Amino acid sequence: MNKEFMSGNHSFGEAAIRAGCKHYFGYPITPQNELGEYMSEHLPKAGGVFLQSESETAAINMVEGASAVGARVMTSSSSPGISLKQEGISYLAGLELPAVIVNVMRGGPGLGDISAAQGDYFQATRGGGHGDYRTPVYAPASVQEIADLTYKAFDTADKYRTPVMVLSDGLIGQMKEPVVFPKKIEKLPEKEWALRGMGSGPSRLMASFHIDPAVIERHNWKLFRKYQEIEKNETMYETYMTDDADIIAIAYGCTARIAKGAIKRVRKDGIKAGLIRPITLWPFPSQIIKDTASKIKKYIVFEMSTGQMLDDVLLAVEGRIKVQFHGRPGGAIPTPAEFARIIYREYQLESKS
Amino acid sequence: MNSVFDFKDTVDIAWCPGCGNFSILKALKLAINELNIAQDKLVMVSGIGQAAKTPQYIRANFFNGLHGRSLPAATGIKASNPELTVIAVSGDGCTYGEGGNHFIHTIRRNPDITNIVHNNMVYGLTKGQASPTSERGFKTPVQVTGVYLEPFNPMAVAVSLNASFVARAYAADIEQTKEIIKKAVNNRGYSLVDIFQPCVSFNKINTYQWYKENTYYLDNNHDPYDREKAMHLAFENNRFPLGIFYINNTNKTFEENLPAYKDNKLPLFQRSNIRKKIKEFLD
Repeated sequence: MNKEFMSGNHSFGEAAIRAGCKHYFGYPITPQNELGEYMSEHLPKAGGVFLQSESETAAINMVEGASAVGARVMTSSSSPGISLKQEGISYLAGLELPAVIVNVMRGGPGLGDISAAQGDYFQATRGGGHGDYRTPVYAPASVQEIADLTYKAFDTADKYRTPVMVLSDGLIGQMKEPVVFPKKIEKLPEKEWALRGMGSGPSRLMASFHIDPAVIERHNWKLFRKYQEIEKNETMYETYMTDDADIIAIAYGCTARIAKGAIKRVRKDGIKAGLIRPITLWPFPSQIIKDTASKIKKYIVFEMSTGQMLDDVLLAVEGRIKVQFHGRPGGAIPTPAEFARIIYREYQLESKS
Repeated sequence: MNSVFDFKDTVDIAWCPGCGNFSILKALKLAINELNIAQDKLVMVSGIGQAAKTPQYIRANFFNGLHGRSLPAATGIKASNPELTVIAVSGDGCTYGEGGNHFIHTIRRNPDITNIVHNNMVYGLTKGQASPTSERGFKTPVQVTGVYLEPFNPMAVAVSLNASFVARAYAADIEQTKEIIKKAVNNRGYSLVDIFQPCVSFNKINTYQWYKENTYYLDNNHDPYDREKAMHLAFENNRFPLGIFYINNTNKTFEENLPAYKDNKLPLFQRSNIRKKIKEFLD
C-alpha cells in the first residue's frame, strides 16, 4: 500500500470509506470542516451518500436512521456540535445501533475557541448523554492512528452494536503526516437485526422506550454485560520507555506526542522517565497503571484540560503513589520544553525526598 | 460618524476587506443612534457566524449565544425585562439553518424584538459551505456538484406565519438599510429584516453587481398591510424586492400576553416587594 501525505481530517474520511462507511451526515464547524469536504468529494465516488444537514441534531438522527437499516455510518463535529449530538448518542446506545462519531476537539466550555483542546474527556468517556451507558472512545495521536483507529472503530461498533467515538483534536485534525491506509474492506458483517422491510419474517421494532421499568432494568444489565466484554477485549494503550522508569507520564492524543518529546529530552540527562499512552479512553487501561504503580515513584498526568483523565488515573492508582498533574486548558498548546521542565522538577523533588 | 455606540479606540474588525457586513454595521449603528436609544436600554444578541460578530463592534451590552440560538436568548431577555430594546443579529445559516425551528416559533410567539439577518447565502465563518438560502446549482468545496435543495424563503415563511414586520434590505445601500432597521426597531412585535449581503470571499455568484442587477425597491404603491400582496412579493425571484413587505399590528406581543406585566410594566427584578409578597402568600 502506498504511503500518502494527508491531513488528519482527510484521513478520517479515507479510512471511513475504506471501512465500508456508506453514509456521512454532518454540519459545518471549525476545526473539522475538511472532513466534510473530503466526504463530499470522495464518498459519492465510492457509491455512498454525503449530506450536509441543517444542524448537528439532524445529523445524528440521520445517523440513527442509516444505522437502523444496517449501513456503516459516520458523523463528525467539534466540541460544541458534539454536545448537540449527545441526545442521539444516548439513543444509539439504548437501541444498540452501531455508528462512528468523530469529535475533533476544540477549546471550551461553551463556544470556547477553535484551537486544539482535550476538555471533552468527561463527556466522551462518561456517556455524555443521559442514561446508563458507555461509549468506546479511541484517541489517536497521529494521522496514521486516525486511519487505523477510525477503521477499527467501525468494526468495534458493529461487533458490539454500539456507537463508538473517535476523539481527536484540532491539532491532529489539521496536521499533515505520512499515512498508510488499511485495505478496503471486502465483506461487511451481516446484520440480522436491521430494518430492511419486513418481507415474510417477523416485524421488528426499534424503540428505546418501555413503560415497564423491569424491562428497562433488564436492558440496562444487558448493556452492562456488553460493556464488561468491551472492557475485557478492547482496551488499548502504548508504553514508551517504561521498563526502567522512575517517573511515568500519562497522556493521550496530541499531548502524548508532546510528552514523548519531553521524555526524549530528559532521558538525555539520565532521567528515567517513561510514558503510558491510553489509546482507548473508555475502556481505560487501568491495569497497566496498577501494574507499574509498585515499580515507580510518581506519575505525571499531562492533559490539555484542567484535569479530566486525571480522575481515571487516580482511580487506577488507588492512592498507592503520588500523582502530579500538569494541564493547559482552553486551547492552549503546551511544548515539549514545558513538559520537560515539569519532569525535571518532579524528578528533583523525588530525589530530595 | 461619532456616536455613543462607537468605541473610543479603533476596533480590530475580523471581516474580509470588502465584506458586506461593514455596511450593515454602519447602517445599524446609524439607526440606533438616530433612534436615540439609551445605551442602558439596549441589548444586542447574536449567535455564531460572521454576522454574529456584528454586536462586538458596537459599544452596547451584548449577549453572544450559541449557534442558532440567538432568538431564544433574545426572548429570554425580553421576558425578564420588556423595557429593553432587544436586537438579535445573526446570519442566514445561524437563523434559518441551525436555528430554523426557533425562527418559526419566535415569529409565532411574537416578542417585541428586532431580528436582523445578514443573508449572504453561504457559510462564511466555516469557509464556504452552502447555506439554507444558497441558490440551486451553487458549487462549494462541500456541495461539489452544486446545491440541489430548494432555497429557504425567509420572507414567505415570515409572512405565512403572520409576522409582525417583514422587510428586506441590501447591505450596500446604507441609507435605505438604516431606514428599514429604524422602522423595524420602532415596530411593536417581532420584526424581521433580512439583509442581502455580498460575501466577497466565498460567494462569487451573489456579488455586489449581482444584487444591483437582481433587486429593486418597492415603491409607495405597495400596501404593507396587504398580506396576500406581501406573499406574492416573497415569491418573486426574477428580481428580488427590497423594502417593507408586510406589517401586522393586530397580534399582541409575547410580553403583552404575560400576566406578570399586565398591570405593571416594571421588570420583575426591579419589583422589590416581590419577596415579601411571596412570603405573605406562603404564610
